[in-house]
Amino acid sequence: MIIGSQKPIDEIWSMVKDFKKVLVFACNTCVAICHAGGEKEAETIATLLRMRAGQEGKSMEVNFASVVRHCEPEYFEPVMEELQKYDLILSTACGVGVNFLSDRTGKIPVYPGINTSFYGAVESPGNFVELCAGCGNCILHLTGGICPIARCSKTLMNGPCGGTNKGKCEISPDVDCAWYLIVERMKKLGNLEKLAEIQPPRNWSTSRDGGPRRVSLEHIRAYEEQEELKSETAGGKK
Amino acid sequence: MKSGSNLERVILSGKPAVTAELGPPMSADGHEVTKKANILKGFCDAANITDCQTAVVRISSIAAAVLAHREGLEPVMQMTCRDRNRIGIQADLLGAAALGLKNCLCLAGDHQKFSAAGRLKGHPGAKNVYDVDTCQLVGILKKMRDEGKQEGGDPLEVAPKFFIGASWTPMGDPIDFRPMNLLKKVNAGADFIQTQGIYDIELFRSQMDKIRNMGLHERTAILGGIIVPKSAMMLKYMDSSVAGVSVPKALIDRMNKAKEAAGDDKKKARELQEAEGIKLTVELIHQVLETPGIRGVHIQAIEWETAIEGIVKDAGLYPRPIFETE
Amino acid sequence: MSDVISKDEEHEMSADSAVEKKGTHLERMAPVKDSRPYSPCRAACPVNTDVQAYVGFIAQGRYNEAFEVIRSVNPIASVCSMICHHPCEQSCRRCNVDEPLAVRPLKRFVLESTTEYRRNKRKLVEKTKGKSIGIVGSGPSGLTAANDLADLGYQVSIYERHPVLGGMLASAIPPYRLPRKTLQEDIDDVISKGIEVRTGCEIGRDITISDIISKHDAVLLALGLSQSRSLNIPGVDGPGVLLAIPFLEDVAFGRKPALGGRVLVIGGGNVAMDVARSARRLGVNNVEMICLESAEEMPAWKWEVDEAVEEGISIHHRWGPKAVSREGDKVKGLEVVKVTQVFDTNGRFSPAFDNNQTKFIEADTIIITIGQMANVSFLKDSPVQVDERGRVVWDPKTHMSSARGVFCSGEVVTGPGSAIAAAASGHRSAMAIHLYLQGENIEGRLPSYEKEKIPQLPSEVVERITKEPRMKIKHLPPETRCSSFTAFEFNYDEEEALKEAGRCRGCGGGAVVDTKKCMACLTCQRVCPYGAPVVTSVSEIRPEYCQACGLCAPECPGEAISMVSYDVREFRDALPSVIGSVDPKRQDPVIVAFLCSHHVGVLGFSLPENIRKVAVHCTSRIDVNDLLKALECGADGVAVVRCSSATCKYKGIENRVKARVERTKQLVSMLGMEAGRVGILTADSNDVASYSSVCEEFANGIRQMGLRTR
Repeated sequence: MIIGSQKPIDEIWSMVKDFKKVLVFACNTCVAICHAGGEKEAETIATLLRMRAGQEGKSMEVNFASVVRHCEPEYFEPVMEELQKYDLILSTACGVGVNFLSDRTGKIPVYPGINTSFYGAVESPGNFVELCAGCGNCILHLTGGICPIARCSKTLMNGPCGGTNKGKCEISPDVDCAWYLIVERMKKLGNLEKLAEIQPPRNWSTSRDGGPRRVSLEHIRAYEEQEELKSETAGGKK
Repeated sequence: MKSGSNLERVILSGKPAVTAELGPPMSADGHEVTKKANILKGFCDAANITDCQTAVVRISSIAAAVLAHREGLEPVMQMTCRDRNRIGIQADLLGAAALGLKNCLCLAGDHQKFSAAGRLKGHPGAKNVYDVDTCQLVGILKKMRDEGKQEGGDPLEVAPKFFIGASWTPMGDPIDFRPMNLLKKVNAGADFIQTQGIYDIELFRSQMDKIRNMGLHERTAILGGIIVPKSAMMLKYMDSSVAGVSVPKALIDRMNKAKEAAGDDKKKARELQEAEGIKLTVELIHQVLETPGIRGVHIQAIEWETAIEGIVKDAGLYPRPIFETE
Repeated sequence: MSDVISKDEEHEMSADSAVEKKGTHLERMAPVKDSRPYSPCRAACPVNTDVQAYVGFIAQGRYNEAFEVIRSVNPIASVCSMICHHPCEQSCRRCNVDEPLAVRPLKRFVLESTTEYRRNKRKLVEKTKGKSIGIVGSGPSGLTAANDLADLGYQVSIYERHPVLGGMLASAIPPYRLPRKTLQEDIDDVISKGIEVRTGCEIGRDITISDIISKHDAVLLALGLSQSRSLNIPGVDGPGVLLAIPFLEDVAFGRKPALGGRVLVIGGGNVAMDVARSARRLGVNNVEMICLESAEEMPAWKWEVDEAVEEGISIHHRWGPKAVSREGDKVKGLEVVKVTQVFDTNGRFSPAFDNNQTKFIEADTIIITIGQMANVSFLKDSPVQVDERGRVVWDPKTHMSSARGVFCSGEVVTGPGSAIAAAASGHRSAMAIHLYLQGENIEGRLPSYEKEKIPQLPSEVVERITKEPRMKIKHLPPETRCSSFTAFEFNYDEEEALKEAGRCRGCGGGAVVDTKKCMACLTCQRVCPYGAPVVTSVSEIRPEYCQACGLCAPECPGEAISMVSYDVREFRDALPSVIGSVDPKRQDPVIVAFLCSHHVGVLGFSLPENIRKVAVHCTSRIDVNDLLKALECGADGVAVVRCSSATCKYKGIENRVKARVERTKQLVSMLGMEAGRVGILTADSNDVASYSSVCEEFANGIRQMGLRTR
């Protein structure tokens, strides 16, 4: 899932301070699970902003609300009208949600209430780790299920650099060396010799480097378009 | 001859090769480079010109290499994967070749967070590139040189002829993988290898046994890395904090003894330790060169280039062979 | 009641996003609670009184709200607080831990604590329906029906043959069990709605049934069982042999019945107990009872029997009456025969005797208490059919008799039972009448009190519940109580009541998941000390495991978990009014202290006015947002005041609450506020004074820190 993390309240305040009516709008999926932007955190942010407004002697109405997900239009529909009552929507969804909603709120700005951190897992309660970089071309079968793109600080494809120190990455003793993990894993799998094969330079065009990406499922789109066409012609006949 | 560089010639001659290191300055002061080049000239077969090592901005490796070259010191330009994508890398390689550079050492590069181990501000917020890794970079150089093709496949009318080097950390984690790591670099096309600094000669030799079993010592020229110790503190730091370097206690003790012999005299302590460091270096050079499969040494006297002359002489590696240029 | 029919009054749980939430949290939760299995106490109650809800209110010192919960379903609440047979207690899940919760005494505590409140609430209900209903009988079912119908806007007239209202409650239950002023509170609640009362009006004597039928749009026969059955044995007729009901009526109305020095009561039911114990209070020292049943088989409640025995009444078990022996007119005693069987193998009443075993019990007065029957003689020649056994013919599905518009309720049709069961019947009949008068179908639409209940406590949960003995009820000593008809049971004092209320495990008042908001994140499952949540596609919090501690709700990142009862959002919403407007010239800091209601609640310790107490059902349900809210509302400091972990009612609470306080400190620091304005205080649960001192100490700390300017 997508892991988010909270922005300092000062930063949020500098974004919202000139608005009169602010809705802290939560997404109750990924970012809720990582305690960054679910309804509970939205309520906290709303309260802190009201308190801050009080400290600064500003009159500001700050409410909070949530929907299940910010990345599918249907979820907004029931609240779209309500959203129109605000000067600013501070979305605590991930960046996807902020973009997606921004496109739909007309003159009302949508600002990010959290930072979108990465795709990650809940290693243990309160511990979220990045495990995938969404590069669009998965090679995990070659690396023992441990992604060097997401987890090696240098996205090395052919083994560790010289910076591995006691199994940790040169950037911090708190960061595991992905290649150390890969080697240990491959040893366990009895596959270490597979790592001898040289991975050629990657084609990064499937990742962000290829420009904004889109996945388009023809079989589903074609059906939806047909249905749309049908309803249009049916409407025309009336 | 793949490149015709001096280093390649020395290696082909079968004599132990000696490389040193020249760190370009963190300013536009080209004199600093020429000064250091003149200090090293004559005492090594080629000198590595580092590529923004420890992730701090310095005169670029290519530019400094050209400056050194002009002074008569053969440079080994370094190329890290950190700062350029394959387009930038290949463009720079073409440029370097056009400027007469013949050795290139391929490296991953220190991570931008490194910032001279925190001693300098550096640029920890920089975006790193790592479009390709070391192994792939070696392959690109080889493809350009031997196939006359860019990585993408476009032809090169005049191919850059580099003597291709790569680094190797023989005693780094995960130690089981390190021979395979070398194998991959050799398979990719590394003509020579410079290793991380060696103090633990026993461990190094056991790794070299594996390398010999794999026959890699015949397919590439391995130059053992020697980092000249300046003080007991430096040895301790390298032992605890530098990846892939472990320093036997006996060596640290020797340095400590030298330090203690000076009593409270700090200046004397430094002098005694430096002297002991040079002595120790010479011993290490001998031990490394006695290791079967080793074809030379890479001596790093970090910010202490003046030490090289004495070391090379004491080690009996002076004078350096001279070849007629074709 | 009315929600049974009016669709528009049906609630739905507020929509997921709920940008604006309607109603209080309690109101929003009511339909949720209704749709879930009931706590066993509530399911066992014939009118489904929400015991857990009102006991929880008691624990928080919210007595008026407790009263409202009780009264909303039970118009004879005060009566029940004295005489109810409390099936709630028998089904209490605490039985598996130690002893059941003392529900009835707690109810009494509430009712006696809220007399002024309820009196002030009494008011006429507008007659909006333009229809009138005649109710014959004013016992529990008649009163309940009158209550409901008046609330619905009907004109109600009650016909009662006795000079006072209450039916058997007034005329047969001895005052030592039910003081008449207690009964009067319930009656006054109902009558104040604007009900026409015709006491001393006996059908067939003062007015005919036809008159009543023609006068009203509908009639309810809530006649009860007003006649005692007698025995068909030799010697029964004549002086010295009395029937229970006339005897009890004499007692009730202060007419001293003539008794000798040795009274023998025949019967083993609760009425027999009333009779025997009343005889003791009339000054008879030698009161004996005979009954067919053994001590275990007796239909009388065990506590009644125990109390009777304490009062010196001896019981001859498993003897049946054979003949009254007389010497001339005078009763000399009763010849009894040994009982060999009371029930047959199918459990049906089928007594058998061994005529070879007999004995003689001396007595000069015999009172027969073997059951009651209805007196329906006045229905003769009316459209209301009576069957050959003297029972009113009715349809239990509609409560209607054979005559259209004439309905029945209570024991006259259901047979003997409890007062509260009769009240339940009264509710149903009132609804039946309402539907009838509105021209709607009745069948299938009367309230059912059969509800699914929460299963027994799983053993792993039982192990995690601390044993706490039930607060004992004090009684007058037997020798004192037998000298008068005054009530012998003492009400709990406030401390006792709060302690007892704190024993409730809150079954059915625990956590529920709004599945529209749940993203199955596992937080609740990780947090729960009792293993209640099971997260699959969404979280399901198993009510049989849930102990209503509330620990999970503040942890839920989607705010998908609410507590059915006493959710903190209630308090959060109320904080502005708790804090009020903060005087900028104040000398003392305004402090909000969230106190665990289980130990300190509301009782016994006073805090200076500037420290605003908010009692919560365990501080485990206090959220970061509650603490922030207090500061937002202008408090200079906010503290969570906990019991020590040794006495906490729940397990594994402490560290989570601490973590929330720490988080709040972090957040307020971000606003440039001193982290010390938020605190967690712990005190010795058994020493009320220690709570005061930690609170005051905290307040002093805040005073030194300075008052907030903004």
